[in-house]
Amino acid sequence: MENYLVKDLMVPLSEYATVPMGSTLFEAVLALEKAQEEFDRTKYKHRGVLILDPKKPVVGKLSHLHALSALEPKQDKVDSIQELGQFGFSSNFIRQLRKQRRQQIAPLEDLCKKAAELKVEDFMHISAEDEFIDHEATLDMAIDQLVQEKLLSLMVTQDDNTIGILRLADVFAAVYHSMAECSI
Amino acid sequence: MQYLTTNIMKALKELFDRIVRCVNINLRELDYDVHPFVKNLVPFDQLVKFYGFYGITPHHPLDFQFLHSNLAGSYFLGKCRTTNSILYKSDIRGDELKKEGAVIQYQDFEILISRDEEIRIEDSFLIKTLVHNCSHDPETLEKFLISNTLSTHYANIHGSPTDGSFLGPFATVDLTTMNDCVIGAFSYVQAGEINHLQIEPGTIWVRNSDNFNFRYQYPLDKLSHYIHFMAGKPPQGLFMDFVEKHKKAFERVFETVNIDPSVTVPPNASLDRYAVIKPKTLIRDNVLVAQRAFLKNAWLGVGANAQENCYIINSRLEGFNVTAHGAKIIETDLGQNIFVGFNSFLRGRPKNRLSIGKECIIMPHSIIDIKKPLTIPPGHLVWGLVTCPADLETNSISLKELTKIKEGFWRGSMFFEGTGASFVAAFRERIHHILEANGAFYDGTKEKGHAQKNQNISFNLIQPYPEGELKGLFPTIIIRP
Repeated sequence: MENYLVKDLMVPLSEYATVPMGSTLFEAVLALEKAQEEFDRTKYKHRGVLILDPKKPVVGKLSHLHALSALEPKQDKVDSIQELGQFGFSSNFIRQLRKQRRQQIAPLEDLCKKAAELKVEDFMHISAEDEFIDHEATLDMAIDQLVQEKLLSLMVTQDDNTIGILRLADVFAAVYHSMAECSI
Repeated sequence: MQYLTTNIMKALKELFDRIVRCVNINLRELDYDVHPFVKNLVPFDQLVKFYGFYGITPHHPLDFQFLHSNLAGSYFLGKCRTTNSILYKSDIRGDELKKEGAVIQYQDFEILISRDEEIRIEDSFLIKTLVHNCSHDPETLEKFLISNTLSTHYANIHGSPTDGSFLGPFATVDLTTMNDCVIGAFSYVQAGEINHLQIEPGTIWVRNSDNFNFRYQYPLDKLSHYIHFMAGKPPQGLFMDFVEKHKKAFERVFETVNIDPSVTVPPNASLDRYAVIKPKTLIRDNVLVAQRAFLKNAWLGVGANAQENCYIINSRLEGFNVTAHGAKIIETDLGQNIFVGFNSFLRGRPKNRLSIGKECIIMPHSIIDIKKPLTIPPGHLVWGLVTCPADLETNSISLKELTKIKEGFWRGSMFFEGTGASFVAAFRERIHHILEANGAFYDGTKEKGHAQKNQNISFNLIQPYPEGELKGLFPTIIIRP
């Protein structure tokens, strides 16, 4: 397999969708669309937006899941439903309960209004220590980190600065590319 | 002189520290430190003020062993052993322990009990706690073990072998083997076996893994009016105020050696000499009134009972009523065959009474606290917090309707999964067993229970070292026939 380094596969920060702290969800979605349009269409699509701050370049990440969770109607009783699992209630019972509760509340209404009100810092994901990798690290190390920590991407650093993002999709593409070249 | 002062009660202080460490080691996975909760909760001076006492009857084995323990104000009946423990005003009631020769059926196993079961308390600190019933763990049928455990005011450990756990005030663990758990204030757990769980205050959880699962969660903002417990402070709230208000009445019965009952007690009923009986109380046949029960203007019909730490005030119980450990019934009228679960608090008002129809089941740890008259129809299951008719609508179901539930239902903060019929059957069976064990069905010849067997108990007092390093510790005492 080719000796890829992380820096060979990462998407540089300049090519990724970014928004500054204080942006709304609506602005983040627009940034994602714009970055996608400008991005090389032969590659996998972006699946997130990075949140930037003047003091510390990348402070958080916003995935599709985070955005959808933020748009979900707030349910006071969701937490108590979540807890039922540890009390031995079956997953089928919990699923039924969640379904009924979801039906009782309004669907995704006022989408635009909500997206314009929600601030990204209120629901962004703040990367933990094990979500960073040095740009000189090998592909093997990156795969190990992604698999062990079950991550979809890693923040790539150089001299303590975040310079890009290594996506699982790009890592998989590199592995697939190497496999395809094997003469089995 | 300085040396002497600092070393007074040295052994007792070391014992306390040791118990706290034992509990904390077991709870390290939950990252729970009990020390801030129990430091100064019972001042050491209190632990030397009170005598311990044990009961002697011809119906229960006489076999006590007290080793390196403080037993201040605690009561023992049946086969009990304490080691490296502090028991403050606790009741260790071993009158339902299994007897040698009994055969226990568990699933497909028939297990012969090879020796009389004993309650064994090791490395534990129990505060005003009731220990009763017998071990329901099929792996330890002859030993009801409570170890490395700390329980606070008015907790109940009922048929539940317990290790490495902490029980908040008014918490109950019932018919459950428990390892390394924290049970929050006023939570009730009956779940067979639990390990490494932290149960929030006000959780009511009844689970039979094959048939049903019931869970209710009290709204904590409302529960805190009744009970709340914070590190560095004693338990607070209406429940504590209520028991404190009646505390004085118990001082007389504990200070007097010989005390005559102030009411007429039928020959087939039992009134414990450590119960408080105030005027206008009536006790009918086969009634059981346990120690630390408080009755005032209470009408107890045939086969009714008032167990430890129960208060029945200005109320009428028509008969065959179970008032489980710690339940309080005030300004209330109960029909026949009503079960009021552990630590429940039922309070009507003098001109706005609470009325409960026959054959109702009031779930353990229910609070029914009304300001306007309220009637609960016969044959209903009631749970949680009820202060008005709307609450009752949410927190109750007729037993007939419940019996029809096949898969589950939910109302408010209550979730039920399983078959309602099995839930109702399990409760009815248990209520019948309790009445039977208490002697409610005694006909003069058959079905004797506690009401008949606990009538003539001799009580002996035991006291700790009065001064010095060992002050507060009771000497090693072994009592056998």
